[in-house]
Amino acid sequence: MAITEIPTPGQLALPGGPGEPHTAQRSLGVFARPQVESGWKAWATGVDHKKVGIMYGAAAMFFFIVGGLEALLIRVQLAQPDGTLISADFYNQVFTMHGVTMVFLVIMPMGAAFMNYFMPLQIGARDVAFPRMNAASFWTFLAGGLFLNSSWLLGGAPDGGWFAYAPNTNPIFSPSHGMDFYAIGLLITGIASTLGAINLIVTVVNLRAPGMTFFKMPVFTWMGLVTQFLLAFAMPVITVALFLLMFDRLFDGNFFDVTQGADPLLWEHLFWVFGHPEVYILILPAFGLISEIIPVFSRKPLFGYPFMVFSGIAIGFMGWGVWAHHMFASGIGPISVAAFSVSTMFIAVPTGVKIFNWMATLWGGKLQFTAAMKFAVGLVAMFTIGGLSGVTHAVSPSDLQQTDTYYIVAHFHYVIFGGALLGFIGGFYYWWPKVFGHRLSESLGTWHFWLTIIGMNLTFGPMHLLGLMGMPRRISTYERGYGFELWNMVETVGAFIIAVSVLLFLINIVVSYRSWKALGRPVEAADPWDARSLEWMTPNPTPHHNFDEIPTVTHQDEFWHRKYAEDEQGRPVAIASSAEVAQSGDAHPALPAPSYWPLVFSFSLPVIGYGLIYNIALALAGGAILLTAIFGWALEPSFESGHDAGGGHGHDPLPHGVGDDQGFATVGADADAGQEAVDNG
Amino acid sequence: MTSTSPHLVTRALRRLPIAAGPALLLLSACADERQDIFTPQGDSAEKINRLQVPVFGIAGLVGVLVLGGILVLMRQGSRRHNDAEIDPVQLEGNFKLEIGWTIAPAVLLAVVAVFTVATLLDLDDVDAAPPPELGEMEISVYGHQWWWSYEYEMNPSDTSPENTPEIVTANDLVIPAGVPIRLNIRSRDVIHSFWIPSLAGTRDAVPGRSHDLVIQADEPGVYDGQCKEFCGLSHANMKQRVVALSMPEFQTWLEQQQETQPLLEEGDVGYEGQQTFLAQCSTCHQINGLENADGEPIVVEGGAAVVSRYAPNLTHLMTRGVFAGALFDLWTTDEDGRPVVDRAQLEAWIRDPAAIKPMYDVVPEGELPRGMPDLGLSEDQIDQVIDYLLTLHPGATEGPPIQTAGAQD
Repeated sequence: MAITEIPTPGQLALPGGPGEPHTAQRSLGVFARPQVESGWKAWATGVDHKKVGIMYGAAAMFFFIVGGLEALLIRVQLAQPDGTLISADFYNQVFTMHGVTMVFLVIMPMGAAFMNYFMPLQIGARDVAFPRMNAASFWTFLAGGLFLNSSWLLGGAPDGGWFAYAPNTNPIFSPSHGMDFYAIGLLITGIASTLGAINLIVTVVNLRAPGMTFFKMPVFTWMGLVTQFLLAFAMPVITVALFLLMFDRLFDGNFFDVTQGADPLLWEHLFWVFGHPEVYILILPAFGLISEIIPVFSRKPLFGYPFMVFSGIAIGFMGWGVWAHHMFASGIGPISVAAFSVSTMFIAVPTGVKIFNWMATLWGGKLQFTAAMKFAVGLVAMFTIGGLSGVTHAVSPSDLQQTDTYYIVAHFHYVIFGGALLGFIGGFYYWWPKVFGHRLSESLGTWHFWLTIIGMNLTFGPMHLLGLMGMPRRISTYERGYGFELWNMVETVGAFIIAVSVLLFLINIVVSYRSWKALGRPVEAADPWDARSLEWMTPNPTPHHNFDEIPTVTHQDEFWHRKYAEDEQGRPVAIASSAEVAQSGDAHPALPAPSYWPLVFSFSLPVIGYGLIYNIALALAGGAILLTAIFGWALEPSFESGHDAGGGHGHDPLPHGVGDDQGFATVGADADAGQEAVDNG
Repeated sequence: MTSTSPHLVTRALRRLPIAAGPALLLLSACADERQDIFTPQGDSAEKINRLQVPVFGIAGLVGVLVLGGILVLMRQGSRRHNDAEIDPVQLEGNFKLEIGWTIAPAVLLAVVAVFTVATLLDLDDVDAAPPPELGEMEISVYGHQWWWSYEYEMNPSDTSPENTPEIVTANDLVIPAGVPIRLNIRSRDVIHSFWIPSLAGTRDAVPGRSHDLVIQADEPGVYDGQCKEFCGLSHANMKQRVVALSMPEFQTWLEQQQETQPLLEEGDVGYEGQQTFLAQCSTCHQINGLENADGEPIVVEGGAAVVSRYAPNLTHLMTRGVFAGALFDLWTTDEDGRPVVDRAQLEAWIRDPAAIKPMYDVVPEGELPRGMPDLGLSEDQIDQVIDYLLTLHPGATEGPPIQTAGAQD
């Protein structure tokens, strides 16, 4: 594949072939390749991994608010016994969509936001390997998320729970179109995840800066890489399952119809073979994130880098061998239960290693509790609670009591909210200046942190007790007389405290921006936290081309080692200031041009989806748009000649006299072109 | 079940079933933790409890140590920051230490794993010999949207199609106390989960499959539970109870339940209700012994009228304690504290079932109802049907039938 080759300077791997004088071409499609660099059009057609990352983050925040409002509805309904705020039918839709939204439309894309923005930066690349594919990944995700949520307005949202056990999803038992939206919506977001996974894997494998061996990569990038491998292998499984479900519902596929001889356990296995790696897809990016934050604010390197990396890889592998712990009560045989019970216990070992290594990083460190650090340490503490409750239900006989009670709900909220989400919020505070050029308010951040911690422990802590008292999950109401009243009320109060904390975060974003603007947008120095990894070598906010000059890497924590040497005791000695080491950001290397086609590609998918549900002709029309998009995409030249006669500056791979490392400058674009070459071939 | 002592239940049931209700109502007023997992009342739940208590203990201890450690490190570290002393030593790791905290948890977990697997295999030992008094009797538990039925077969080895279960009942699973009872957990529509926490762990009821579960109630009493696997609209309202009777009482119960319901004659109390029942209710509900206008016995078998194709068999309804998926008590007490049928609750149920238990009351054109539909009976008809339902108990001449009235609260 052309993308694996780093082109020699001065040559572009365009279809014309290396060395041939390149002549500008016009798009063969209906659109000229757009060239805008600002305004909404730049966002809509942009392929810059940073724009894609920001859009992923913004969309995830939007869905986070949607999913949070769903959570509040649940909590108000359950605040008191015999709740009558919403009907059982609506409740089932709300809790299903809360789960689906938070897993597929919040935590996954929030991870994708960070991975898109920072993995290329951390490995010293100018973009991802396939920039247009990256844009398509985001727009496809957004299209899938909006499609899924449009079901609210079209006769009812999915109502079968986020794991949608068959045969309850059969049209007989779930007669609205909700589960059709679930199947097709998640198929669409699955396409987004798969595109992203392939892209980031190729990026990390091929586009690392010179000298950046795998074992010099930052741990965030490592965990991102493991996550992308998990996605690449897990998505096909859920895709198969969803495809069968879609066929069952729309075309009488009979895959899960018991009366036709199906065994509903098939769905359970398919779902959880995906579903368990999925939970590591949710948590590993956050693990990586705090592995960046904790060392920076401890002024120490991450304790036991190899253990951290290998434990992450081990989690990635072992994550495939534990899925049936979701099914201890499902009737699988005792040997299966024993095997999955033991494997589940032992996946706690690499996770424990991570906890201990983070603690060892704190140990002896000079800790600075910025908001980012607070959230990172919050993750270590809260995830520990979730991890330990996880061990208690790895013990399969105990799980026969705990399964499907609120104890499980407590567990996965401690690992997903207390784990993944706290990590991501920490990431927002940590990387905000990198992305937007100014910091978030630390004092509001402190309030945000404490309200989040208090709110989450009030909301999810009592769920442990309720579960042990026998409150099943997914019940739209409960009676007096079970002792559930008090803790449910406490949880509802806690949920509103979380809501306030989220509001505070949004206020922080606005207030911080305004006060920065009022000060005349002062330039935030390149390295506000005295950080360790390459992304901080670029100015804030990151310029479009990332690096003026691709750094040559000699150390793990390269940026730090350019600033500090060590004395004989092993203490850091400053040898250069951040300003001296950081780049100025004023180079103008060639970058991949924007494109309309990812947008067209992505929004053809929900058209097909609506067509499958309502009218097959619409699906065919959507298919035609999709096909057009694929061809338009494939036949599009890497750079649009535009109105410039004779090629335009974009074709010059060595525009402004940068050094030998320039080879990397155009790799993103080249790879994109290379991909076209492959596609064309 | 904490304060509803099983002994009291037995005694009350044995001596004076009529007085049992009010006594138990009082007793259970403070028993609000009736579904918790730490009060085992039977062998299987006890085995689980013996494992889970130390596991919770270890997890809690590790949690306290780790969280405490984090707090200590935070305190020390931020003090160091405030002291503004020189930067810390750039420690990159310690192989021995890290191997240590890889192996130590692994060893701890290996110990837990040994006990886990041992308990697991012990629980799975489903070949427990059935008590000789019961012969070959086999009990199948069926999940339905949104209630449970229980089918007792006296001669399960007879596989001929004529051999149907002798007893088909609902909501209250009646078993003898003190002996292991093997249940076949099944479902007739979607996946449900059978769970009586004080007796045993959960077992999923999966359509098309039969799962074994051995339960034992050490003492006579009533044990609460609830469907755990999300099973659609009214999942929250799908409860179940186990009523454990002493062996002699259970044997009496078995005999009584196998009696058929005599057909009422014109002039009998409840006759009008019976006619309404035959015209309307018997499309879905069966009562053993009932005949239709042609003198044919009414046998509702997988009637095509409901999605799950089954509705509770109402034979000897008045020996049960709860109805509508164990959601409502059938019994209440009169001014003198004696248990009487809760007519108001029954009326409300027959008047508009979906109003008090979420079900699909409006059935789309061409689709089957899910749960009990609103039959549109007049108030008179409702009264008459209830008068008829009150006659649904085994032969009144042999003393009061064993009933589970009011035993819950």
